[in-house]
Amino acid sequence: MKKIVKVLFVLLVLSLLVATTVSAADEKLKVALILPGQADDMSFNQAMYDAMMQVADEYADKIEVTVVEKVYEVADIEPALMDFASQNYDIIFGHGFQFQEPLIAVAEMFPETAFCLGTGYLTLPNTAVYDVELDTGGYLMGVLAALMSETGKIGVVGGADVSEIFRGHEGYKYGAKSVNPDIVIEEVYTGDWNDSAGAKEAAISMYDDGVDIIWHSGDGIGLGVLEAAKEKGKFALGNVADQHSLAPDNVLSGVVYQWAPIIKNIIDDVISGAFFKTDPLFYWINIPNDGLTYASYYELSDKVPAEVQAQVEQTFKDLKDKKIVMPDFEAAK
Amino acid sequence: MDNIFTATFFVSIFASTIRLATPILLTALGEIYTQRSGILNLGLEGTMTMSAMAGFVCAYFSKSLFIGFLGGIVIGMICSAFMAFLSVTIRANQVIAGTALTILGIGFSSFIYRIIFGIQKLPPQVESLTKFDVPLLSRIPYIGTIFFQHNLIVYLAYILAIINWVVLEKTTFGLNVKAVGEHPRAADSKGISVTKIRYTAVIIGGAFAGLSGAFMSIAYMNSFSDTMIAGRGFIAVAVVVFARWNPLRAMAGSLLFGIASALQIRFQAIGVPIPNQFLLMLPYLVTIIALITVSKKAEFPSAYTKPYSRMER
Repeated sequence: MKKIVKVLFVLLVLSLLVATTVSAADEKLKVALILPGQADDMSFNQAMYDAMMQVADEYADKIEVTVVEKVYEVADIEPALMDFASQNYDIIFGHGFQFQEPLIAVAEMFPETAFCLGTGYLTLPNTAVYDVELDTGGYLMGVLAALMSETGKIGVVGGADVSEIFRGHEGYKYGAKSVNPDIVIEEVYTGDWNDSAGAKEAAISMYDDGVDIIWHSGDGIGLGVLEAAKEKGKFALGNVADQHSLAPDNVLSGVVYQWAPIIKNIIDDVISGAFFKTDPLFYWINIPNDGLTYASYYELSDKVPAEVQAQVEQTFKDLKDKKIVMPDFEAAK
Repeated sequence: MDNIFTATFFVSIFASTIRLATPILLTALGEIYTQRSGILNLGLEGTMTMSAMAGFVCAYFSKSLFIGFLGGIVIGMICSAFMAFLSVTIRANQVIAGTALTILGIGFSSFIYRIIFGIQKLPPQVESLTKFDVPLLSRIPYIGTIFFQHNLIVYLAYILAIINWVVLEKTTFGLNVKAVGEHPRAADSKGISVTKIRYTAVIIGGAFAGLSGAFMSIAYMNSFSDTMIAGRGFIAVAVVVFARWNPLRAMAGSLLFGIASALQIRFQAIGVPIPNQFLLMLPYLVTIIALITVSKKAEFPSAYTKPYSRMER
């Protein structure tokens, strides 16, 4: 009797295995997204997660997507990449600068697999880098903040001075100084992407010191800045998503960008084979390709003088036509 | 740079210090009971995260901050009751049990939060506790802004520091807690239940950590994230040792950490030419230096981290 049960059990397990292999054997591309943080961090991770889900819907006949969260430590990254690559995934996204070294190492071992790195500079024939030109977004916010400030003091709060955040902050300062060379800019890096309370404290201390508008470069800490703006009744500028609804009386505008178009580009290029033929390959989100814009003023529109609105719009146009050239901030670092 | 030491500079620093010190003080006040009874609860970081989540969830669904705080406190007590069970009843190694509880608390709270709210495009929020300006006092120039324009929990934390000092130093219960921490066998022989006192002390610690956790999510901020406690639970443990298990000195310790944090933010903001990474270390450096200087004087409770059993000699 026991034997029969055992045999039945083995058969059951086998049939399950067969069933799963059959369903996976259709022609869809297998896409893996590895996030360093939580998919609901309201920022860097969530923007990518939401975009990937959107693309997964639109390309439902072309791809199937697997997402893992919180692969943050470099020691965990390589095994995660190996895992997906050896399971025959076709495209693997490592969403963060810290994926660079392990991603290149694993990509060498799996030349048939497409690897995509979220911000970085190293590439192989089967890898690409996707990144956001946050320096232009920062520039635009800097212009707006400097024009709106009555005290001549503006602020910016970010997580850490790396990659696109650093470029964004430098762009912000550069933009603000372009309209008012004497502007005072207070800048704080919280050293943590999610310590929203720390960011709130930083923002309050800026507002207390006479700063009247702050841009934040995203993540959980951004929520702290908006909360401080609400409490102090001052202006703040958002990042990544349109954050108007979080504090309608205080969020004046913000940088808004979308990963979805470049994810689609990447998938199209992998399908056509162009992905493997180009090296180095970079996919940029920027103003010229409509990936990066700025949020509407909504009901705060009447608080923004017409000439300020016009100048911001003109700056946006100039950035779009590449009339404004910014220094290479990271090279100068 | 020439005008950094203005009145607004100091007002902003000191007001900031008081707010930054509050969650650390609250947690440290509770941990003083726990450690005085001989238990080291290193699980506070996890307890605070659980309570931040519970406080937020309760406040979100009941639309009442009071129920939010209550929920935070109750969950804090439950988490620490588990710690008490491990360290008093099971007699597990307290460092390991506490560390495990921290990891469990952070993971479990984000798990529950995800189950309840899923992944939303914009974060669920509550109306956080508004600040309460103390009548008259809040209008004193400078002093009013620094001390009397905070939310109610901030005032409560500093009042509790005094109350806890009285309870520990002037009541029989305080004496019992200390006796159990110093010499559980002697306390036992005098008819004091070591188990009961230790459970009570650890659970009081949990209630404070719970209030502090809820403070973070519904009074300080208006949303929850699993990393929002950001090491404050561990700093509180350091403050307890620094304070040598005295609630009033814990107040000083929390304020010291608070002012170091406030200073580093301000220094960064005004562009002091020191890399931000070094400035970010400042509060932790101050904590370490403070601990080194007082550790010689620190007399740990004799039965610190030692499980008690009547059977052993």
